[in-house]
Amino acid sequence: MVDDTLVISKLKEKAQRVFTLIKNGSPPYLEIPVRTLSNTIWDEKAKMLRLGDRKATRKFFDVGEARRFMQTLLVMSVIAQARREGDYPTIRDIYYTAKHTITYQDHEGKTQRENTFDEQSESDEAIEDIEVMTGLFREEMGVMFDAKGRIVGNMLVKSKEHTIDLSKLGVGAYAIPPNVNDIEIVKVEADYVLVVEKGAIFERLNNEEFWKKNNCILVTGKGQPDRGTRRMIRRLWEEFRLPVYILTDADPYGFYIYSVYKYGSISLSYESERLAVPEAKFLGVTISDIYTYRIPKRYIIKATERDLKRAQELMNYKWFQADIWKKELQLFLERQEKVEIEAFSGFGLKFLTETYIPEKIRKKKYIA
Amino acid sequence: MEQPETFRALGVAEFFYRNRAIAGFTNPTRSVYQTIRELVENALDATEMHGIPPDIRVIVKKLQSESDFDLLEITVEDNGIGIPPEHVPRAFCSVLYGSKYVNRQSRGVFGLGVKMAVLYSQLTTGRPVKVVTSPLGDPAVYEFEMTIDIKTNTPKVLKKSVSRSNNFQGTKVTLYIEGSWGSAKSRVVEYIKRTAIIAPYANIYFRYPEDDSYRILRFSRSTTELPPAPREVLPHPYGVDAERLKSMIEHEEPNKTLLRFITEHFAGVGRVTAAKFLRESGFGVRRTLRTLKDKDIVRLARAMKTWKWKRPGGEGLSPLGEEILKLGIQEVLKPEFIATTCRPPSSYEGYGFIVECGLAWGGAIQPTQTPSIIRFANRIPLLYDENIDVTRKVVDKIDWSTYKVAFPAPLVVVTHVCSTKLPFHGLGKEAIADIPELEHEIEMAVRDCARRLREHLSRIERETRHIRRLITIKKYIPIVASSLSSILETNSKDIEDSLFKMLEARRHGG
Repeated sequence: MVDDTLVISKLKEKAQRVFTLIKNGSPPYLEIPVRTLSNTIWDEKAKMLRLGDRKATRKFFDVGEARRFMQTLLVMSVIAQARREGDYPTIRDIYYTAKHTITYQDHEGKTQRENTFDEQSESDEAIEDIEVMTGLFREEMGVMFDAKGRIVGNMLVKSKEHTIDLSKLGVGAYAIPPNVNDIEIVKVEADYVLVVEKGAIFERLNNEEFWKKNNCILVTGKGQPDRGTRRMIRRLWEEFRLPVYILTDADPYGFYIYSVYKYGSISLSYESERLAVPEAKFLGVTISDIYTYRIPKRYIIKATERDLKRAQELMNYKWFQADIWKKELQLFLERQEKVEIEAFSGFGLKFLTETYIPEKIRKKKYIA
Repeated sequence: MEQPETFRALGVAEFFYRNRAIAGFTNPTRSVYQTIRELVENALDATEMHGIPPDIRVIVKKLQSESDFDLLEITVEDNGIGIPPEHVPRAFCSVLYGSKYVNRQSRGVFGLGVKMAVLYSQLTTGRPVKVVTSPLGDPAVYEFEMTIDIKTNTPKVLKKSVSRSNNFQGTKVTLYIEGSWGSAKSRVVEYIKRTAIIAPYANIYFRYPEDDSYRILRFSRSTTELPPAPREVLPHPYGVDAERLKSMIEHEEPNKTLLRFITEHFAGVGRVTAAKFLRESGFGVRRTLRTLKDKDIVRLARAMKTWKWKRPGGEGLSPLGEEILKLGIQEVLKPEFIATTCRPPSSYEGYGFIVECGLAWGGAIQPTQTPSIIRFANRIPLLYDENIDVTRKVVDKIDWSTYKVAFPAPLVVVTHVCSTKLPFHGLGKEAIADIPELEHEIEMAVRDCARRLREHLSRIERETRHIRRLITIKKYIPIVASSLSSILETNSKDIEDSLFKMLEARRHGG
């Protein structure tokens, strides 16, 4: 957590620029680094996605940008207010604090109503814009989120003077907090980190105490991982030199989630530096596994148009250009079939825990 | 100025009684409309033709109701020149007509229609017509009650009285007819509205029965400026046929030379032109009318139709003019936008004509699937047979999307054709035929107005787009200002004012 006064002064600095433009009679605008694929750079050497230098001027007097200009300033003011009051709102709190109804007269003189925000995704975007604009991460600005990551295994963490043993949680698991930097990782005793895409699989593996039997740390981001989860894995890899293996469904969405853990995401490429795990390995499930492990027909799902389109997109990403990925995606497009990890329960869950995972690790049958 | 009419009696009352359909008294609905129309047109002729801004009162009363038929009392009053008492009986109760060999733009041949109305009244109710009149400059008021003797075509005066005028000047006519008010009402109301459009210099008061009570429709004049009264003009040589020529010659001095006859009776023909025409057509310049046999007259008529005369112009025609037409449309239709245009004179078959047109858009006009049409001919509203009228043809032919009009649209097309002879479709006199010259002029006029409508719509569109853009930004100003002031801990009002001012400046700067 960064000092409140620094956050406020950074926000003030940006607001002051807009204010000065207005005082000088110039059309006000905000300068915001572009957070789209076109400004995402694939850093071949560091093996991660980075934010490019391109900046966009968001002009208030531009009809297409006025609303987002308003939203950005509104969220800035909500964050500044929270810092002044020592409050720690979640991104959802910010959405509800900033959301209200504007009443105005339209060109025909009729009264119209419009919400400052219609969906949380809009205020989330504004928060991300403010992050790249100020160079401060949201948790540094005291903005929390509803963390959904879970972790369990032989490790001790210290948070607010309490030491927590992550191997003594029974059937439960430790909820990874938004600001992972605020906790101290005291001790880790494990050979590797196993990241599973889905919460349900995580539950079953935890129930079986897979982590205890295989001496690993078990983590899930429950779908698209939040930044807390990614930061936690990054710290385990960076600070404790643990290998990281990732297990997802055999479909393009699973592959992309793996790439987010490994290289970073397009919309948060400015965070890769502290979130990505360039050495993370893809354990599976691969498309070729469907055929190698002879998954029964009844577990194979026909790919949708959207799946195929997503696969095409992946093939265009620079970080999916390795031959092995080209082969996997090609195979997917040919067969147009996918499976979910649950398919292995067709063989009994034991096949997954006692054969598939250990064998893949031992025989290095993963994609590095 | 007063234009005395030449009255001549004809023994045709009975003929018209038997052929009343020709004059529009075809059924109980149409007859109500026709009666009111005849009286109103006489009232307008008695006023505006003589430079008097018309004050016209039309009062319809339902005296009795029996299933489909109502006994109606119809009274029309004007402030016109009045009728000299000695002319009153024949003016209403004997089929007369005006000076025939003169062409003039007029609402009709004087008197014919009103006598049909009197005949219809007499036929359906047996009641006399009541006329109260005080001629211009005469302090007396004359009151008559009369009927027509159909066999002899002579008036029968039942009552007659004279009194002092109480500031009354003009004529008031009351007729009793049997007719169907329920079905005629909407037509009559429409007729009165359209009359108000074409005569914005008139005060019109119309009281009519509705349900068990009555309603009043009132239009106030928006100008006292009258369009010049149409003048009588001589016919153009193109416009006569052998029959008419023969009739003209029969009324002439037999010793008159052909040369004199032509120069005296036709428009735009001087001695030199007439002589040249006669020589080239094989007639002796000094030849007298007496020597013309029937076949010579036929030959003469044909020669007159084919010779290269100067084309007839708008002599004697009196359109309303763009300004007055605009006032009429404004008063009655209350639109958001009006374009009017008056075309230069043109002609067909030897008859001069002028087309004027108005386009009204928006405001109180209700959107319709096709343009609504309001037609006038020699200042008479035409209500029936719109589907066979040349204006309908022109309006349907136009691709309105060219003019940025997308239907349903609040669009009314007003056309007014003035001519010394209107080319009506058939006998009903409610629709104008699609004579190519006329169609062309109407199309030019409508398109001219439509172009101006397009400019208007484009301007509105641009302004609307601009205003919408401004509002898109403007509505966020208070939030932007309060957010900035909250972050910077400054005054929000100053920021807000500056932003509003900047946005306003951009509006004017474009």
